[in-house]
Amino acid sequence: MSTIIEFKNVNKEYKSGDHILKAMDNVNFTIDSGEFVVILGPSGAGKSTLLNLLGGLDFVTSGQIIVNNNHVESFSDNQLTEYRARNVGFIFQFYNLIPNLTAQENIELMKDIVDVDIDGLSVLDSVGLKDHANQFPAQLSGGEQQRVSIARAVAKRPTMLLCDEPTGALDSKTGVLILNLLQSMSNNQNTTVVIVTHNAILAEAADKVIRIKNGQVESIVVNENPKNVTDLEW
Amino acid sequence: MLAKKMIRDISRHKAQFISIFLMAFLGVFVFAGVGGESVGLEVNVNDYYEETNLADGWIYSNYINDLFMYQVDALGATTDMERQLVVDSVADFKNDPEITLHFVENNTISKFYLLEGEKLDIEDKEGVWLDKSFADEKGLKVGDNITFEFEGYKIEKEIRGLGYSPEYVYHASTSSVIPDFNKIGFAYMSYKAFPEDTVPYNVLNVKFEGTPETYAELLSYHMDGYYNSFVERSEHVSVSQFSEEMDQHSMMSDIFPVVFILIAMLILLTTMTRIITHQRTQIGILKANGFKNHSIILHYVSYGFLLVLIGSILGLILGPITLPQLFYPSMSATYKLPSWNPAWSMNFVYVAALMVIMSIAVSFYSVKSISSENPADTLRPKAPKVSTSGIVEKLAIWKHLSFNVRWNWRDAKRNKFRGLMTIIGVIGCTALLVCAFGMYDGMNDLKEWEFNQINHYDSKLIADEEATISQIDEVADKVNGDKLMEGAIEIESDTAKKSASLLVLNGTDLITPTDYDRNNVEIEDDEVSISQKMADMLGVDVGDTVKWHIMGSDKWVKTKIDKIHADPTSQGFIMSADKLEDLDLNYTATSIITSEHVDRKYDGIKSTNSLNDMTSSWDELTEAMWLLIYILIFFASLLAVIVLYNLGLLSFTEIEREIATLKVLGFKTGALRRLLLTQNLWFTAVGFILGLPVGYFVLDIMWKSSGDSFYILPSITLTNFLLTAAITFALSIMVNLLFSRKIKRLNMVESLKSGE
Repeated sequence: MSTIIEFKNVNKEYKSGDHILKAMDNVNFTIDSGEFVVILGPSGAGKSTLLNLLGGLDFVTSGQIIVNNNHVESFSDNQLTEYRARNVGFIFQFYNLIPNLTAQENIELMKDIVDVDIDGLSVLDSVGLKDHANQFPAQLSGGEQQRVSIARAVAKRPTMLLCDEPTGALDSKTGVLILNLLQSMSNNQNTTVVIVTHNAILAEAADKVIRIKNGQVESIVVNENPKNVTDLEW
Repeated sequence: MLAKKMIRDISRHKAQFISIFLMAFLGVFVFAGVGGESVGLEVNVNDYYEETNLADGWIYSNYINDLFMYQVDALGATTDMERQLVVDSVADFKNDPEITLHFVENNTISKFYLLEGEKLDIEDKEGVWLDKSFADEKGLKVGDNITFEFEGYKIEKEIRGLGYSPEYVYHASTSSVIPDFNKIGFAYMSYKAFPEDTVPYNVLNVKFEGTPETYAELLSYHMDGYYNSFVERSEHVSVSQFSEEMDQHSMMSDIFPVVFILIAMLILLTTMTRIITHQRTQIGILKANGFKNHSIILHYVSYGFLLVLIGSILGLILGPITLPQLFYPSMSATYKLPSWNPAWSMNFVYVAALMVIMSIAVSFYSVKSISSENPADTLRPKAPKVSTSGIVEKLAIWKHLSFNVRWNWRDAKRNKFRGLMTIIGVIGCTALLVCAFGMYDGMNDLKEWEFNQINHYDSKLIADEEATISQIDEVADKVNGDKLMEGAIEIESDTAKKSASLLVLNGTDLITPTDYDRNNVEIEDDEVSISQKMADMLGVDVGDTVKWHIMGSDKWVKTKIDKIHADPTSQGFIMSADKLEDLDLNYTATSIITSEHVDRKYDGIKSTNSLNDMTSSWDELTEAMWLLIYILIFFASLLAVIVLYNLGLLSFTEIEREIATLKVLGFKTGALRRLLLTQNLWFTAVGFILGLPVGYFVLDIMWKSSGDSFYILPSITLTNFLLTAAITFALSIMVNLLFSRKIKRLNMVESLKSGE
């Protein structure tokens, strides 16, 4: 398998007045194409910062982020927008669907930014929500909204799916359903999936586990035989 | 502590609070400013009339002797009277200026208002008290000599004083509505200065008790046939012209501020609603911690209250100080008053107070719903507005609409209130612009119509009142001119009685009456044509018969109306000399028009005016109007910018999270700006379309209030219509551009952090 994402000596500092907060402290790791990666760590460790940098929502202070042989850290604002549109599928803790578009419209919205023909109905079908195509986000349950959000993210066939606490707002049964969906995307469609969570149990299901603490990489573990999400002890 | 919170809240929402403040300020500023101006005019002119003891009425007769005065006194209602001889003269200058001389017996009624020199002295045979405006034009000083020629007399007098007269606040010659003080003036002298021993007094200034109507009836009952006419104060040329002017000003001060005050309230309502929705949980926390309901309400109500209060007070103070200074200079060129001071009226305070009270009511309305909930409910976030599918979504076309259109359609649907206010703001802007441009077009159209399409002569020679028929005929021959007769008449229909003008033409092609569409109206020798506006005012049409008489004569005749013409500046009859004589009325030519340029003097001719002179004095008169038009355009634009920016900001904060999401998903700034622009343009288009008839309506009111003699219909040229549209939409797009920076700087990470 080939390396698709590489963090090289990445530093990220936030300044507030005289005080400097180091959110990323010399972070190095690689992710292979199609890997199911879990990034673990307590709150405030810098997990979300890592995901934001990788997703092109924020700029590094120093270091390099190489995705598909492109130096993301040197991208301009416009290039970052383009990068997000083509390469990144975001999945948020609070779904972030557009409230006044229906489920199907939320997915077909992607046609406006990428040159991919998207059939909203069949994408919804793949997450089991074909019957809810004409409902608005507010009419769907949390789990259903998150599934629409996943469908929206994968519809444009991105290089990677970046998920920030995707089950954080869901009950555990629904959470498993969502994680299972993400894992099968990685396994069956060779999509690179990066999940940020503070739930250590998920580690057993990952191809690679990156532990973060105080902005530094604590350990990187590669699982030879990851478990299926549904087989985990929740 | 709550006060601290308020100050921080206000500074966080500066833009909106600044606009509330501005609109409150502007509303009161314009109201008190224009009001101060128009009330000022009224106070100044009334003080002036009071101080100079302006006559309540004027009785005109060929000869006013002691017996005549005895009879007038015997009417009972007369409290004071004074006779004078009023006669037109020509002063000894190259341009033959027309000076009206007043030989007075004691000058206690309609007193000369002295500005320079010594007081009017009845014993002084050699002195004259001259019109200051005329003296200034001619560079005359106290002590200079001046010669007048009238009715064969030539008198030379020394100027003893310069000043104004309450009978000449407005003073223009018969041929032009605009005063030209180089060519016109008045002078007062003692009766002892008259070259003969017996002074043929012809005007009696009277002061009386009771209404002018009863006095006029009394006079006509007891003294019918002894006098030519009676003019009450409100009919006097100077008085009525000035009060028409005042009416226009006070109407302006009524209409425009209402727009600003309404908008200020709308902005306050939206801003308060937004802040309170935003601070819902904060309110819950305050309540949970035991703050009383009324202190929470008081806290939020004081936001708007303080700003509107400060804005209103500033407007109250600054309005009357500044705005009148914009109008008075151009007015004082036309009207002569000794003082031009803005005045104060309690009405301004009432409007300001109303504004403050409304601000309290509006804030109270927006906080009320939350304060009545119980704390536990308030702590929970309000359920988001749910979008629903309507009829439009079921249409086949929906599937083919872009995401942008669908999103905006639904966003507009769930935020009807916001949309409504944007539309109202744009209606206000469009209406003001239509008014401004409509006034501009109307003024230009009137000029073109009057000076190019109806009148084609080069010069107009005004005959002396004493000129003989042969004198006039001779001059008409010499200049190859056509004679005409102009006069003041009074027309009575079944429903109304109106002062009007009479124009008698002698088959001339130098004056061609037209209809409103500028098609020539041919009036045959045996026909009488009435102007459209006069016909409307009298409620008559072709075929109807009306009664009328020439002012100064009490011979009433009946005439059938044969045609209707339209005229921008004079309303009444047009007929031929034959027709006039058929009606058994005397034809006396009052002026001669010619296509030749005349600049020399003829016997029997009082003054000569060229059409060019009249056109340029019209331009001068309308200068004040341009100022008003610019002010209107400026405020219309300001209004649109404030309303659109405010509501744009409001919607931007509401959908910030959605914009951030779209940005994260990879939408470009340009696409997001278009997303916001689309809705703005929709509302602008709707507001524009609705604003057109509103503007048209206001314009109609404005023209109707411009006086009985003017006939202008509201209309706007295509160019200015397009300009109105261009300005409205350009403002909408410009305001939208202000948001593209906000979209660029939007921090995606921050906006996405918290859940709803």
